[in-house]
Amino acid sequence: MCSRLHWFSRSQHLSVVALPFNLPELIADWDSLRSAMRRTTPDAFQRDEWAYLMSFLSPEQLMAPYREAFGSPIEAGGRATRLARPLGTVAVWLPNNVSLLGPLTLVLLTLTGNRMLFKTGSRSDDLTSAFLGFALAQLQAGPLRDILESRVTCETFERGDPRQTHMVEEADVRIVFGSDAAAASIHGAANPLKGVGFSFIDRQSQVWLEPQAVSDEVLGNLIRVFAIYGQAGCTSPRRVVLLEGTESQALELRDRILTLWPKVLRVSTQLHVASANTLALQWAAACGWNAAAAPNRQAVVGVGPIGLEAIDSPLFLPISPATVEEAIAQLPSNIQTLGHALVNPSDGRWLEIVATTGIKRFVPIRRMHHFASLWDGEQFWRRCFEEVEFDL
Amino acid sequence: MIGVEPGSLVDQPPYASRNDARFLAEMEQLTQHHLAGCPLYQRIWSQWRPGGSVQDLPFLHAGLFKRLLFRTEGLAHERTLESSSTTGSQPSQIVLDKSSSQLQARSALAILKDFVGEKKRPLLILDDGKSLRQKRGSVSARMVAAMSLSPLATALHFLLVDATSPATMKWEEVRSAMTGHDELLVYGFTSMLWLAWAAAEIPQEIRQLLASRRIHFVHSGGWKTMESLQVSPEEFDRRLTQGLAAGSRVVDYYGLVEQVGIIYPLCECKFRHVPVWADVHVRDPLTLESIEGRTGQLQLMNTLAQGAPYHSVLTEDMGVIVPGACPCGRAGKRFELVGRMPKAEVRGCANV
Repeated sequence: MCSRLHWFSRSQHLSVVALPFNLPELIADWDSLRSAMRRTTPDAFQRDEWAYLMSFLSPEQLMAPYREAFGSPIEAGGRATRLARPLGTVAVWLPNNVSLLGPLTLVLLTLTGNRMLFKTGSRSDDLTSAFLGFALAQLQAGPLRDILESRVTCETFERGDPRQTHMVEEADVRIVFGSDAAAASIHGAANPLKGVGFSFIDRQSQVWLEPQAVSDEVLGNLIRVFAIYGQAGCTSPRRVVLLEGTESQALELRDRILTLWPKVLRVSTQLHVASANTLALQWAAACGWNAAAAPNRQAVVGVGPIGLEAIDSPLFLPISPATVEEAIAQLPSNIQTLGHALVNPSDGRWLEIVATTGIKRFVPIRRMHHFASLWDGEQFWRRCFEEVEFDL
Repeated sequence: MIGVEPGSLVDQPPYASRNDARFLAEMEQLTQHHLAGCPLYQRIWSQWRPGGSVQDLPFLHAGLFKRLLFRTEGLAHERTLESSSTTGSQPSQIVLDKSSSQLQARSALAILKDFVGEKKRPLLILDDGKSLRQKRGSVSARMVAAMSLSPLATALHFLLVDATSPATMKWEEVRSAMTGHDELLVYGFTSMLWLAWAAAEIPQEIRQLLASRRIHFVHSGGWKTMESLQVSPEEFDRRLTQGLAAGSRVVDYYGLVEQVGIIYPLCECKFRHVPVWADVHVRDPLTLESIEGRTGQLQLMNTLAQGAPYHSVLTEDMGVIVPGACPCGRAGKRFELVGRMPKAEVRGCANV
């Protein structure tokens, strides 16, 4: 089945990856799609999502998983110590409200040479099918078109459908985005002797800022990152912690964010969003937050103690001044990404903090939503291969 | 502030000309009362001071009543009124007190009388009798709406075996209600009135008996379901009144659980009129400025709500104030209800 061998080198170690296509050609095909993407944005996608997807398809981005897993690509030859080959079939479950993670996962998995089965939600915009349809409509003949046509199945069905059982049985790798219960149900139905399962379940993220590291650029990134999914995104900041800051500094930060908001996001506010933010402003005030709204009710930002529970409103951004110790103590148990703006992020103490907490990603604020082959602490992309020890 | 008795405007006919200064004084007095007695309200509007105009009165977003339980101390609270919520959403909860409940009952009755007349007749309710007996201390908005017509009733007849199933209609109960009466009053939620009556297979014998009866149908609950069924208001009214005695008519009213006691029936000229003890403002959803002559977010006010600060509520409904006198003859402010604000699903990362 695998006809092309691709060689990689890292620190004297040579790895060979056997794929059913020529990898540079496949990557070139993805790159070629970007021209068409520049001309049209399908209705299902927000402008920011489409722009991010386009940048994700750059050749450098697509080679990154290979570089991380196997090293730099080299010409064939030498003493390989490891051979990697696709496991077979990767099944992905995407729930109703899933974001861009669906198309991004599709892109990453096409690089692995595996057959792909996607189950998408039935009650909302299905970005994976929309992107697949767009790509097939635009791509010329080539390895990518062949893969998308013959090795990707994207289906929508309800719970209890026999296709669910079929998908579980077929999968050598199961990737489940969804609730804890959904993941437990899918993995629980699988043959325990077959395949490997990854669960990307309920997670939340935060931003940590040091007052001296705050700039308009940092706050612009924060606004952009938060506004895409608000509180609903697992990689969106559910709380901003102003490290070693005072309440008056936090209020100043709040007002600076609110002033910057319409300059960073020059979009009109939808009426239901404005109304939800009017509600959020009053709800937050009732719960003890010192909250204020951005012009045209684009968002609500509140200041309150780190122990104060945030209200559950899509575009409410809470800011809490706290010491580092308090911030660590109040980290949610399901923390995923910690977006940072720190005076010296390479200071060893941040490494120690990450080492002793449940943080899965420690990245600059602008990279909070960046999806990669290492996700939620799991090397899920690399695990789509089986690896053979090769000692000649 | 001038001294006023809260709710005293309800003594007047609902659609007379209003003393605006007195309305404002009652509203400002109510606002002060809630600020003094309701800590949650005080946190939200601590900066508020009387501004001398109705536009300056503070409001609460209607969605807050789904998330927080507001209660103003110093009154005899009796029950909690719960809205009928759609699957998965929280119901609104309104704390009722004895004094306000009395005013609200008088208010609803005065408004309804203006539309269906004062004559007493059997009241047929498209619900089941069990709905009257809710868990201790709570009452459903659906039942409050039905019972607001009870002072106009000679007897109550519940027409459904199961409140959720239009197929459980008790046509024999309709026959029983008609005995000795030429006029009937029928109340139901809009979609239930359609499914259980207008679109139902009425037994031939009952149909013949109905032909000589004059019926006032009163319904509320909105058009969402009817839109999905592709039934227009005209078709709705036509199907309900066809084959009935002359003078039969349908009254569609708009009301919120957060404005209990105040209802806005559609008049003969298709407008909704504001009673003298209430007011309606339109606000720009983005700036919250008071606007005139264009569609915006409706703010509903009344002078009756003493047990909790639901006397001024910003709704998620869109509407427009219509200037000029209404040909129907009712005085005071009138408006057109345009519909609900559009909603969009929140997109996230699978975990919400």
